[in-house]
Amino acid sequence: MTNVIEAEQRSFMTGNEVVAWAALAAGAEFMYGYPITPQNEIMHYWTRLAPKFKRGFLQTEDELSAGFATLGGVMAGRKSFCATAGPGNVLMQEPISMAEMMRIPAVWFIQQRGGPSTATVIYSQQETRLTCLGGNGEGNRLVYSTASHQEVFDYAIKAFNNAWNYRFPTFVLGDGYQAKMREAVTLYDPAQRGIELHGTSRMLGRSSKQLDGQQVRHYRNTFNIEEELYETLMQHIADWDHMAEEVVEWAWEGDEEPDLLLVAHGVVSRAVYAAYEHLKSAGYNVAYFRPITLRPFPVAALQRAAGRCRQLLVAESAYGQLLSLVRDSLYGKTCAPIEGLLRPGLGITEELVVEWAQRLLARVG
Amino acid sequence: MVERVEAFVGEYAAGKSEVAINRALALRQQGKQVTLVDLDLVEPTFTLRPLKHQLEGQGLNVIAWETAQTFGLGEAGMQLHPQARSAMLRTGHLVCDVGYGVFGSEVLNLVEGALACPHLGVYLVVNTTRPMTSSVDLILEEAKLFNPLHGLLNNTHLGAETTVELVQRGAQIVQVAANELNLPVIATPALAEIAQQMDGYDVCGNPVWPLRRYLQTAFW
Repeated sequence: MTNVIEAEQRSFMTGNEVVAWAALAAGAEFMYGYPITPQNEIMHYWTRLAPKFKRGFLQTEDELSAGFATLGGVMAGRKSFCATAGPGNVLMQEPISMAEMMRIPAVWFIQQRGGPSTATVIYSQQETRLTCLGGNGEGNRLVYSTASHQEVFDYAIKAFNNAWNYRFPTFVLGDGYQAKMREAVTLYDPAQRGIELHGTSRMLGRSSKQLDGQQVRHYRNTFNIEEELYETLMQHIADWDHMAEEVVEWAWEGDEEPDLLLVAHGVVSRAVYAAYEHLKSAGYNVAYFRPITLRPFPVAALQRAAGRCRQLLVAESAYGQLLSLVRDSLYGKTCAPIEGLLRPGLGITEELVVEWAQRLLARVG
Repeated sequence: MVERVEAFVGEYAAGKSEVAINRALALRQQGKQVTLVDLDLVEPTFTLRPLKHQLEGQGLNVIAWETAQTFGLGEAGMQLHPQARSAMLRTGHLVCDVGYGVFGSEVLNLVEGALACPHLGVYLVVNTTRPMTSSVDLILEEAKLFNPLHGLLNNTHLGAETTVELVQRGAQIVQVAANELNLPVIATPALAEIAQQMDGYDVCGNPVWPLRRYLQTAFW
């Protein structure tokens, strides 16, 4: 395979371009997709780059088939991925559920847009719940929520490796701001950083010679009896719990007994972190917590961060999707009130977080 | 009728809007009547729309959608502001911010008479820190997408991480590409604090245009 990035380079890019380059660097061989804003430039750049690096692309007739074709690509032994947003993400829950059931390791890039339905084309965080827990299963997925172009690149590589390592569908959850905004990023060849890329092999169609002593596997998404499904699913859940301990990630900073703990994920965490620094330098006793994996959610870490705080403020561009994950995690662990700065489909600035935080801090002061 | 048309074209995220805004304001400061036209048909409400009133306050005529005008349109595909069609009937200078897309400079067709203007300049904005235009060969490949083309701009930068050395390295790459294309380098736009350190000209002798960042504040 042609070397994608010869030497580390600092580049000025949009997030969608970073996804295309990251997928190339991670050894992705095939993208399946159907156009939808704000992820379109992932496809635009992948289709410009793919011929140069002998990779493939197929535009299907809709998102449902793009999702299933991605799984077909993986089963045929190709490292495949898909990208979508909003209603496309809704449609893809069917193939993603099949990936959960059949343990097919594909990677999805989601650039959240406004919802419900077609709504707006650029920005939101309203696909948090859908991406973590959509589908008719137990949410056996891995979801990374990125906040910068560097993270998009780093976590894309990690997503491909962990998808193939643990065999659960894996997501890099961005949003329209991350897709469209421009900032500097370092592109690198994973091998030069000592990151070994996970290989792939055919799941179907292997000859007895290719099997080389391995057992023939039976991939199924349908079961005759409930007990059989239960047995299979409980093994998946045990595998997922094991994965959760190894992959869970978060960021935490600040006082261990804060008057206010600020919580946010994704691009909003940048505004919240800036607000945290602002408040700290103004002498307030505050802390900052950001889940990086939303599924698995860093429950134990959040419990530690919130255990001795006097109140929490959860900021998100959705109406309580992160908030409900936070409440679930802290049930029975804190008496501190949990407030939500909830702006579905609207951006959140540092100034807004500071304003809300100061009002809450005045309450305990 | 408009006396002169300047259109800024180039790759996605090359800096076309920022350069167009700054160029329009610089011409205005020289006392000229300037109309800035948003010809981004791919993302018609995301670049100049949030800045329209601010730029009008600074003396520009701006043809771009206003937030209230876009209510009800939905994701309806390409939307050209009707005033852009007859923009050549205005006086003074026309500065066009041409969005990216497969049509290249052909989008200028939509401004009736613009391509026939005897004083037309279509300029390719190039940032050499972008992977798709990081070498002479890649710039030449990019330039093929635009016809007519009258010159290049070296817009090499890394946002807040920009240094004079970086801009000068970009200037050299863009100059070689321009020589191959037999076109002039019109200028090196650079952030004001970088421009201050460059004494008016880049290492290849092309003028430096001091830039202020406007799009940073364009919060959709």
